[in-house]
Amino acid sequence: MAATAQDPSAPLRGPEKKDEDRDEDTEYSPFYAIEKGAVLQEARCFNEPHIDPRRCQQVITKLLYLLTQGETLTKKEASEVFFSVTKLYQSKDANLRRMVYLVIKDVCPGADEVIIITSSLMKDMNSKTDLYRSNAIRVLCSITDSQLLGQIERYLKQAIVDKAAVVASAVLVSALHLLGHNAEIVKRWTNEIQEAVQSKHTMVQFHGVALLHALRANDRLAVSKLVTSLTKSNVRSSLAQCLLVRYVAQVIAESTTSGSGVRPFYDFLESCLRHKAELVIFEAARAITAMPEVTMRELAPAITVLQLFLTSSKPVLRFAAVRTLNKVAMTHPSAVAACNLDLEALISDSNRTIATLAITTLLKTGNESSVERLLKQIGSFMSDIADDFKIVVVEAIRSLCLKFPQKYRALMNFLSNVLREDGGFEYKKAIVDSILILIKDIPDAKEPGLGHLCEFIEDCEFTYLSTQILHLLGVEGPKTKEPAKYIRFIYNRIILENATVRAAAVSSLAKFGALVEELRPRIRVLLSRALHDNDDEVRDRATLYLAELDGHAGGPEAIDVHWSIPPKNLEKSLRAYLENGTDAPFDLASVPRAVPQAPQKDQKKKSGPAAVSKPEPPKASPIADTLRDITELAHLGPVFKSADPLLLTEEETEYNIAVVVHVFEAHVLLQFNCTNTVQEQVLENVSVAVDLAEAEEFEQELSLPLARMEYGTVGQAYVLLQRAPESMAVGKLGANLQFTVKEIDPSSGEAEEDGYEDEYQLEDIEIGAANYIKAVGVSNFRKAWEDTDPASEISDDYGLGVRDSLQDAVEAVMTILSMAPCDGSDAVPPNARSHTLLLAGQFVGDVPALARISFGIDIGRNVAMKLVTRSDVPEISDFIHQIIQS
Amino acid sequence: MASLWERFLDWLRSLFFKKEMELSLIGLQNAGKTSLVNVIATGAFHEDMIPTVGFNMRKVTRGAVTIKLWDLGGQPRFRSMWERYCRGVQAVVYVVDSADHEALEHARAELHDLLARPSLATIPLLVLGNKNDMPGALSTIDLIDRLDLKALRDREVCVYSISCKSQNNIDITLDWLTKHAKS
Repeated sequence: MAATAQDPSAPLRGPEKKDEDRDEDTEYSPFYAIEKGAVLQEARCFNEPHIDPRRCQQVITKLLYLLTQGETLTKKEASEVFFSVTKLYQSKDANLRRMVYLVIKDVCPGADEVIIITSSLMKDMNSKTDLYRSNAIRVLCSITDSQLLGQIERYLKQAIVDKAAVVASAVLVSALHLLGHNAEIVKRWTNEIQEAVQSKHTMVQFHGVALLHALRANDRLAVSKLVTSLTKSNVRSSLAQCLLVRYVAQVIAESTTSGSGVRPFYDFLESCLRHKAELVIFEAARAITAMPEVTMRELAPAITVLQLFLTSSKPVLRFAAVRTLNKVAMTHPSAVAACNLDLEALISDSNRTIATLAITTLLKTGNESSVERLLKQIGSFMSDIADDFKIVVVEAIRSLCLKFPQKYRALMNFLSNVLREDGGFEYKKAIVDSILILIKDIPDAKEPGLGHLCEFIEDCEFTYLSTQILHLLGVEGPKTKEPAKYIRFIYNRIILENATVRAAAVSSLAKFGALVEELRPRIRVLLSRALHDNDDEVRDRATLYLAELDGHAGGPEAIDVHWSIPPKNLEKSLRAYLENGTDAPFDLASVPRAVPQAPQKDQKKKSGPAAVSKPEPPKASPIADTLRDITELAHLGPVFKSADPLLLTEEETEYNIAVVVHVFEAHVLLQFNCTNTVQEQVLENVSVAVDLAEAEEFEQELSLPLARMEYGTVGQAYVLLQRAPESMAVGKLGANLQFTVKEIDPSSGEAEEDGYEDEYQLEDIEIGAANYIKAVGVSNFRKAWEDTDPASEISDDYGLGVRDSLQDAVEAVMTILSMAPCDGSDAVPPNARSHTLLLAGQFVGDVPALARISFGIDIGRNVAMKLVTRSDVPEISDFIHQIIQS
Repeated sequence: MASLWERFLDWLRSLFFKKEMELSLIGLQNAGKTSLVNVIATGAFHEDMIPTVGFNMRKVTRGAVTIKLWDLGGQPRFRSMWERYCRGVQAVVYVVDSADHEALEHARAELHDLLARPSLATIPLLVLGNKNDMPGALSTIDLIDRLDLKALRDREVCVYSISCKSQNNIDITLDWLTKHAKS
């Protein structure tokens, strides 16, 4: 694309070709090398007493050219040009007059100046010349204000049904622009517009339809009505028909008839597929493919039409068809598969854009066996296409690789081959990103992928990519079978590259040293060579890492730290610390771990825990953040898990209470988010009494009441329960809200002195096993599974009864267990009869546990599952089964 | 017969001595500028006119002289733009409503303001006291006094009292104008 775009300021046939055709016929653009100053100078000819219409036209053309090229006029220049252009009104030359209209629209002088032309335009608007009328209307509408519009409305209304198509179109288009500010006036013209829609001129009909739709755009029902009436009437213009197809598509997209009902207007779209204009056919086909939840049956006729287009002799049609098919292939690869033969023929298309789209479509629809053949074909033309398209191809290959993990070898090789070729940063980044994703998702691909990346950084001109890869090598390299072989590549960077890359390489090397015991002496030697680097950062890093490898300054473990404090919070805390000016040393533990969601919230937080307001149910971590600030709760240690807020009252009651259960090592904290929805009263001293009769393993340690609960704000009351450390106590707690009500005097808006005590029954709070499980995924489930003691394995079969689908069953089990799915096993392929779900989680006390669940579904939709669990603590393994059983 | 001969001579003269001139017609709103243009161009007078928004461009041919008339709107928002259309014209025609005594002070201020611009130096000025058919219309002497025309130096200034409605003194106005046309 970039290759075909021409530099407009260059001659039509560039000077670089001059050697070949030095002939006299080198065509120069008439606008070659014109510049603003000279043109403005020329524009003085407008002021001459005798006007040369031809010359003036040329000057205006140049001016317009400059303006469309993005040149701007200063206010002074613009008004100078504008006023001299108005002088041209004395000429009766029709062509010059037309240029005058154009330049007035484009120069756009100030509103106070442009008004001078109004009277002349109004005269022209009623002139006998169609050209004057249409252009004057366009200019007038673009400079008018609503007051003036009222004056000329009569003429405009009349012009909509003008015999001349140009005039009618001009008003309709102007009306589209006027809609923004003067919708009221345009709405009064509906009858005339309706008439214009029936016009036999294609353009008038087209603009009429567009305007009618724009008038109703905000009203879904009206649009639907309009579309219905238009689909029934005979819209002759193919352009208008196209527009109509788009509107229909919009109506379809907005209509929420769930799958079962007959889709409205589908018949219309389908009939458009047989329209005589290709434009309409394509638009209809595209609309069908873009319908939400389109079925195969609905898709079929559209695909057939597009397939015909694929073999068209017009490149535009081929391009349009292949592009649409490409989009369809993302969601319905099987539907497009029918076109595969035609698509393959397009790979050799002389238009590279079409070829690229064809290839990427094939990559999406193709089956496993054709992958290698396709790759070969792509390889042959990769060098011919622009970077933009290469990125598209790379992305297609990435998704293909994730689809067919077995083919990773061929695909990885392809990626490494293209990585070696020349290309811009974006392109290389796309490739590297793809490889990184493949490494992450396909364990087998890790080692070859790292190998390719190592090779790439040997000759990489992009610092950003080099550092990224070096970091990845540092993380992944030590875990591979032969970490030693990466050392050379990394060390080469220290010798050869710029300071940024060198520093990254030093860090990467240090990680190898820290994680791989046997390499440590060698790493030390290599790092010591970096001690004399001429860059400070590199030297500092090398010195630090050497010290750490030697066991000083935190030891080797300190190299691979996991920095869990968000830098933003750290910065804020440090600022606050500096402002306070205390002598106490800064405590890193006081930095909130959670990322604040809105700065406004933070300001409120400072005014004390009771005033903390949360406009929406927050996620677990921000709550933990809040808890840090409450001194009574500071001794609890880190939160193990915070559950999602659970409403304990009906949605519409006077008081809205939601509970959040936080699990700590030896405690369970119940946080009650209380909202008062009654404007006339304020609640004070709000607390929750918890009944522990059915939960004997808990013991109430503390209850923190909420001092004041005003209308519309959210406050927190807390109840702290104690349990045996690391135990998984479960039970049902009764809860009762206790508070003092004070009426608010409606006249003064202040609460009355005396209040009365009241109680409010809340729903029971259930503390279940899920509260003690944290969804923590593992990157390599198989490895983690094998590393866990097989003796802890417990296996059992369960029946889940009748389910809609396997996916449904999988989701149900995941909700119960609240563990994290691994290796993308939470998605069940459509129509699968069996599936294996891999889950990982962490139990209280940070004990990891793994579960492998095999599902099977029979014809009667009965789902059975086999649950196999492993954990380092056998009780946990058993515990998971208990959860399922209960 | 004599008039026919006269016209023939006029036509002959016009072939050889074709003249052209450009005029700017300014003045406060409702002074009668557009009416004047209509009277000069078509000879017809209309009682109800709408205010000119911007300008009207008219070309009028009188004998051997083609007159380009820039009839500019008189509302305050256009007054700042008068000057642009007065540059380079052969004469500035300033129309005042001689029956509207209150507006005269404004008219004087605007006129002197405009003529003070260096770009308009030496351009001849024709002041027309319109609406002399109305009762209480000022005479030319009064107009010179009220508009302080004596203070204008270094330019030709002429004052006529006219009426577009009764077509009074329109002919002498045209005579004056054609005299100032350049050949």
